[in-house]
Amino acid sequence: MANTTSHPKTHWDTLHKNGPFDLKLLQITQLEGKANMPSAIDRYNDAALEIQRLIKEASDNNEGFRAYGARWSMSSIAHQKDRMHFNSHMNLDLPVFPENVHPDSPFEKSNLFFFQCGNTIKEISQALGAHGKSLKTTGASNGQTIAGCISTGVHGSALDVGSVQDYVVGINLITGPNPEDIVYIERHTKPALANSFIQKINAKVIRNDGLFNAALVSLGSFGFIHGVVLEAEDRFLLKRYVKKINKNTALKLAKTMDFASSDFRIDGEVDTNGKPKRPYHYKVFINPYTDDNQYVVEAMYKKPYTSTYPDPFSTIEKSVYRDLIYLLIKISEKFPKRIPFFIKQLQKQILPEVNEESLGTLYETFWDAPYQGPAFACSFGVDTKDSEKALNALIELTKNEGPIPGIYAMRFIKKSEATMAFSKFPITCMIEIDGVLWKKSRNLMSLKEFSRRMIQVLQQNDIPFTIHWGKNSDWGFPGLVKYMYGAKASEWKEYRNSLLSPEMAALFSNTFLETIGLSDVVLDTENTDEELIASLLQ
Amino acid sequence: MTPFTTSHFRNMLLCIGMLLLFTSCYSVRLISTNGAPMPDQNDRDDFYRDKKVVVLDTVIKANIAIDDITIPVKRLGCQSGKLFSVEYKDTFGGNLLYLITFGSKRKVKIKYVCMKPEN
Repeated sequence: MANTTSHPKTHWDTLHKNGPFDLKLLQITQLEGKANMPSAIDRYNDAALEIQRLIKEASDNNEGFRAYGARWSMSSIAHQKDRMHFNSHMNLDLPVFPENVHPDSPFEKSNLFFFQCGNTIKEISQALGAHGKSLKTTGASNGQTIAGCISTGVHGSALDVGSVQDYVVGINLITGPNPEDIVYIERHTKPALANSFIQKINAKVIRNDGLFNAALVSLGSFGFIHGVVLEAEDRFLLKRYVKKINKNTALKLAKTMDFASSDFRIDGEVDTNGKPKRPYHYKVFINPYTDDNQYVVEAMYKKPYTSTYPDPFSTIEKSVYRDLIYLLIKISEKFPKRIPFFIKQLQKQILPEVNEESLGTLYETFWDAPYQGPAFACSFGVDTKDSEKALNALIELTKNEGPIPGIYAMRFIKKSEATMAFSKFPITCMIEIDGVLWKKSRNLMSLKEFSRRMIQVLQQNDIPFTIHWGKNSDWGFPGLVKYMYGAKASEWKEYRNSLLSPEMAALFSNTFLETIGLSDVVLDTENTDEELIASLLQ
Repeated sequence: MTPFTTSHFRNMLLCIGMLLLFTSCYSVRLISTNGAPMPDQNDRDDFYRDKKVVVLDTVIKANIAIDDITIPVKRLGCQSGKLFSVEYKDTFGGNLLYLITFGSKRKVKIKYVCMKPEN
């Protein structure tokens, strides 16, 4: 039997120390050993029963229950004040054989893989690598769990690919303590798994595009995500270049995504007509405190996989003494005008080296990002056509009302089908400022005040935007979710209330959901729309 | 412009002092490019935050004839039996101890993290 250890707690924090937040109980489930239960499916089902027992226990105590993985989110999205479940040890992967694939599936059978919630991007990448496969994209690193990634919309800068949730094609949810509360959801227009496989995991199948898209970026609130089916692709290499290019060229590319007509040209990365190729990945780094007319950009181009390439892990990483960073932050809190100077001094540690080149798989390119102390990140999604206007407005704010100890970057993501994905524009430009967490002082505003001003500035400039669910913001800003998602937010709530009983909707809720106004529980069960979540394909 | 006061001078001296202290010891870490680290929920504020780290901080008695020392990885905290990272810390105090005892006392400060078991 899987077993859970419960640890009474008084507080909990994120990896980057954006809390602390109150917590009563931390629960950690370990799976039954392979020696005692050799079948992976048996161990998976055994774990599901254990999670249902924990849900019942929480419900009986009238308490909330929320799963979390690597706690990389900087917002309080993962937090629940009553009971939190650490998923990291739930890292099974179930083989999907050709006979396990739905007969109407549009997916290449060998590309479908089933992973339990606590698998990290790193573990999944390695498992796929053993089959000659790769994920389509990841975030900038690999430590997040798959369930955490899709719940919050983790993304990289793959402009024609999307975010992590965009290659997830099936979700296994535990929505309550009863046997019928294990459901497997996928799109009816793109089924993935055969009914026989779904029966093996004791799940009820619902094939429904609307429900699936709502549950994809669920903010951790559609139940316990126990497993996901994802679509991989053949392993590939990424050729990475870091260049310093004219600021106007970099911003024009961010606005148009028209690489073919651009002045940005890398030797060897041109098509048969001599036009610059469209990269797989494009990222712009911006130090808001310098008036440099050049920006550092990172571009990556997809190449076919070959085993004969140099080992990409050849550089020796050096870290700055953490106490030195803390000292600089203390000085910055007292003398904020020193911040631009400190950023300039640390530029080598913050920015990639210009003219750096590398070749490696996705796994090798977006590798470990070690913990480097308390950090913050604010990240806004805007339509690429608004990218320059939004960036300039935010830089002006940072210079005039800051300075803030961080630097900006722009990344780009293809539109997601998920109802509450922040990548909602045809190509979303994510404008993000990352840096070292500071404390409000007489001379330096707080992170929450800065986040509020960012929202106000974008609204004043009439720029439609979204905010990364896992990043810092003034999440209680009036009407924020309505401004960002409009009717989509109501649609998401309807699906949630149709899938979950009122008791379970409350159990899987948290302060974050309440703050943004998405936790409303429909108490009148007669008025919930059963048809809304009906399975539309057998 | 803020005038340069005595307290500024004191702060600067403090900074220089701290920098000298930082450089009196350093760490070198070997890390595997494959495998995931064993997770842990801890309150550490360093590389080992959220990693299950085993710390060996001891003085090993030896004599002049002893060349190398082998330390086995214990089962506790290392379910997989495979190493993800090993860090060795060189300190000024450790080197001094070695010198003044002619190598008979050897300060060992090692931190290691094992691989997360594959299920």
